[in-house]
Amino acid sequence: MSSERPMAETRDVVIVGGGHNGLVTAFYLAKAGFKPLLLERRAQVGGAAITEEFHPGFRCSTLAHNTGPLRADIVRDMQLERHGLKLTTPDVSTVSLLPDGRALVLYSDARKAAQQIALWSQKDAASYADFGAALGKIGKVIGEALLLTPPNIDNPNSGDLWGMLKTGRSIRNLGKKDLYRVLRWGPMAVADLVAEFFDTEPLRATIAARGIFGTFLGPWSAGSALVLLLRAAAEPSPNPSPAGRIQFPAGGVGAITLAMAAAAKQAGAEIRTGADIAEVRIKDGVATGVVLTSGEEISARAVVSNADPKRTLMRLVDPAHLSPDFVQKIKNYRSMGTVAKINLALSALPEFTALKAGSQSNSNGDLLRGRIQISPEIDYLERAFDESKYGNFSRHPYIEITFPSLSDPSLAPVGEHVMSIYMQYAPYKLKNSDWESQRIALGETVVKTIAQYAPDLPQTILRHQIITPKDLEETYGLTGGHIFHGELALDQFFTMRPLLDWARYQTPIERLYLCGSGTHPGTGLTGGSGANAAREIAKALKK
Amino acid sequence: MPSVARGTKYDVIVVGGGHNGLVNAAYLAKAGKKVLVLERRHVLGGAACTEEVFRGFKFSVCSYVVSLLRPEIIRDLDLPRHGLEILPLDGTFTPMPNGDHLWRVNDHGKTHREIARHSRVDAEAYDEFGRAMQAMCRFVKPILSMIPPDPATLNPKELMKLLFIGRRFQGMSSEDKYNQVQLMTMSAIDFLDQWFETDVLKATMSASGIIGTFLGVRSPGTAYVLLHHYMGEIDGAFRAWGFARGGTGAISNAIADAAREAGAEIRTEAPIAKILVKNDVKNGRAVGVVLGNGDEIYADVISSSVDPRLTFTKMIEPGNLPDEFMEGVNRYKFRGSSGKVNMALDGLPDFKCMPGVGAHLRGAMSISPSVEYMEKAYDEAKYGHWSSHPYIDMVIPTLTDTSLAPPGKHILSCFVQYAPYKLAPGLDWDTEKEKFGDSVVDTIAQYAPNIKNIILHRQVVTPLDLEREWGLTEGNIFQGELSLEQLFFLRPVAGWAQFRSPIKNLYMCGSATHPGGGIMGAPGRLAALEILKDGAA
Repeated sequence: MSSERPMAETRDVVIVGGGHNGLVTAFYLAKAGFKPLLLERRAQVGGAAITEEFHPGFRCSTLAHNTGPLRADIVRDMQLERHGLKLTTPDVSTVSLLPDGRALVLYSDARKAAQQIALWSQKDAASYADFGAALGKIGKVIGEALLLTPPNIDNPNSGDLWGMLKTGRSIRNLGKKDLYRVLRWGPMAVADLVAEFFDTEPLRATIAARGIFGTFLGPWSAGSALVLLLRAAAEPSPNPSPAGRIQFPAGGVGAITLAMAAAAKQAGAEIRTGADIAEVRIKDGVATGVVLTSGEEISARAVVSNADPKRTLMRLVDPAHLSPDFVQKIKNYRSMGTVAKINLALSALPEFTALKAGSQSNSNGDLLRGRIQISPEIDYLERAFDESKYGNFSRHPYIEITFPSLSDPSLAPVGEHVMSIYMQYAPYKLKNSDWESQRIALGETVVKTIAQYAPDLPQTILRHQIITPKDLEETYGLTGGHIFHGELALDQFFTMRPLLDWARYQTPIERLYLCGSGTHPGTGLTGGSGANAAREIAKALKK
Repeated sequence: MPSVARGTKYDVIVVGGGHNGLVNAAYLAKAGKKVLVLERRHVLGGAACTEEVFRGFKFSVCSYVVSLLRPEIIRDLDLPRHGLEILPLDGTFTPMPNGDHLWRVNDHGKTHREIARHSRVDAEAYDEFGRAMQAMCRFVKPILSMIPPDPATLNPKELMKLLFIGRRFQGMSSEDKYNQVQLMTMSAIDFLDQWFETDVLKATMSASGIIGTFLGVRSPGTAYVLLHHYMGEIDGAFRAWGFARGGTGAISNAIADAAREAGAEIRTEAPIAKILVKNDVKNGRAVGVVLGNGDEIYADVISSSVDPRLTFTKMIEPGNLPDEFMEGVNRYKFRGSSGKVNMALDGLPDFKCMPGVGAHLRGAMSISPSVEYMEKAYDEAKYGHWSSHPYIDMVIPTLTDTSLAPPGKHILSCFVQYAPYKLAPGLDWDTEKEKFGDSVVDTIAQYAPNIKNIILHRQVVTPLDLEREWGLTEGNIFQGELSLEQLFFLRPVAGWAQFRSPIKNLYMCGSATHPGGGIMGAPGRLAALEILKDGAA
């Protein structure tokens, strides 16, 4: 019987999974004086924040292709720059392509952006600043909530009360107008929200796209405004750009997690790759360690899982250790992915009709250095969503493109490029079909869609890498292929992420904790969940 | 010869004789106020009216069933004595294209067996679901009879209200908390998916989550509307729906009768052109109204039961109101999404899946065969087309109340969704109206083919008709969408959810105020209590 096998010495804390949040948790726990051992199934750490060579000489941010953005205090504490992280912010944040051959160009600098918008509508140019300012004020308050450990609703402890009080105070300080905005905007459809500010359809759609990204929502779905607010809140800026700033790390997004790993190691964490966890060992409702697929057992004082809640509590933990009611709720935790990723190795930069030199100043591809979106109008996005509701991927998808090789030429051979493409909607569950048989069709749809805006793209393609939601689940361990470890929605947010009563990084299994994006705040590549979790876990373990 | 009414001065003038206006008037009159109700149409009741549209056939033209009418109002106004009689509406019958059906009735055992026919698991879950919903209703009900707090003030009284809600929430079992939170935020289908596996059951139950909203069964927020319709209470029995004998107009007439008995004066065919505002205080002070014929009538308080768009953009001289408030008014979402098709029948529909005349015809008949059917109906509406395969909720009141039609004849009252007020470019309701009616008949005919041969008369009510004839802006039957950002302290305008308006002595008492639409009467009552509290009249 395996439990009789002699065990390695008892570890302090074992962290399951080396995604960015796992690494952040490892760092902060090490800082707090623990000796965390982080175990990553794959050959490299980074989870969904990795750079891989997918074609000889071509390296690409395999999944995430820009920062969340990272929380400033985490970058500071981990000294990520010193560990080799180099972030660049392109002048152009977003270029939105239109079928009529025009393009809406939004600069990272709010003032420059307004100048461009003025070409479409003077009124919208003014509103753009107003909206940015409002997002700044509201974002600051929500930003504070993102730092909090969600309070215990039943019997809040003093810390909770203090946190709620602080947020409560800063909410009041917003003043009546913005306070009501917070209350009103959260549950709104993002299409309604942008319509309150802008008349220009492409501008509306380009901004609204932030509210649907990574979710199973369309721009007309109530609650999509919350996603936009959360992403704005992650932007540490007095007046964030409504279209969102974008930052690229030299070396692709993987460079972030490599720097994090270096920081964690230096702080005293140990990291092992190629270590696949078969199960979390549990004795009398207490986590006592992990068992690897190799059969090796590692016992520990505490186990922290960076894996998503479903994977952790339904696969790594034997549900027999959980109440049927809890299992039912975790089953109901919504994590149906809608995003696919296509990476292309290109022999040359494609020429976008709308961005031909002359039509817009696009000398040496300056306009391609940010995010390029295909989101021409709200209804286009909503129709793309409609198809996914019935289990088909969008024939005319929402697309977000970046060229990592423009911010870091070393990612591709001289003169050649890598093109990183988010495609939405690609529902995890296909109606009477499966992703293996749809993989090629998906790639073709994406290339065909982009080719309408850049006709020469097909001729420049050397290699496709097509990552379906199924791949996201199987290769990268994201249950349901959900890039946020579970839907970002009002019913799965803050004190309800992942579940009401279990939003404080603990689980019903004593000494088993969660630190992934399936916990608050859980919005993309920010490190927020990992940092919050480490704080709580350290507190709990020091008791 | 205007100014017949000059000189006569009232304590309160109620704008609009819909059920909320009448409730408002009745409570104020009972408190001893001199009240005048002014209704533009020739009949009282607003959307809760009975009209003999075709000789011998009395239609509940718009609203057609009752459930939410607050028991305290029935008691306070002694409505039964004034002729209110609620007749039971038993069950929901959902025919299916495959020849099967789902028939839920009030009889627990029957319904259990029926659902078990589709899924044993669901039959069990159905009972738990009912219990859970009752717990939710118990939490929400007091909020329905509550003046919404203003979270933006530091006024302890307001904060106590918030605390009260917080306490009640804390008081719930964590199971109920979990459900409550989901109910407030999820889509009807996401919510029902957690309980049931039978598609037709989920589809037909989700329907009550979308009624009157421009949302689909998969849109977050619809789970709440589900509850809103679950809250129905007749004789204390949860989830009980019924007919008013004499049609829904009878409800309004009973309330009107109570109001008159208490001394209120009620005039029909008295359209109001303007609300008179005196500018002797900031934002002005309402002092009376001007009728369409030029008559001026004065009062200390004007209580408007029409929606804020009409009240503040049509009846008030521009410039009297703060910009921020007007932004809120103009932003307030109506987006009517439903229509009515009322038919006079020579016989009864004969369902393929359950032939003959049976009890299934006495309840609601729901065309909601699958979740995908419901969602696709919504998709069409999103892009400005009425649903070619709509969700339909039908009743045949004449099987319960024979006074509504000649002997042997019947009335089929069909609530139809989606019928978007704003149609795609190139389409308009005046030309689409009858096509829309035809497609409703065709849809029903797929399940009850004989329908086409027994129609004597047909009345189609489009969202545009609701706006033109009943003054419901954009044809929204709830005077504004019941979406989260337009509920409770955000209804109708953030900061103005307590029935008052920036104009002194001008109050709101219609469905556009908390707790919203349906024949509930709560807004009218709560507004009356606030008016009395202010001692404005």
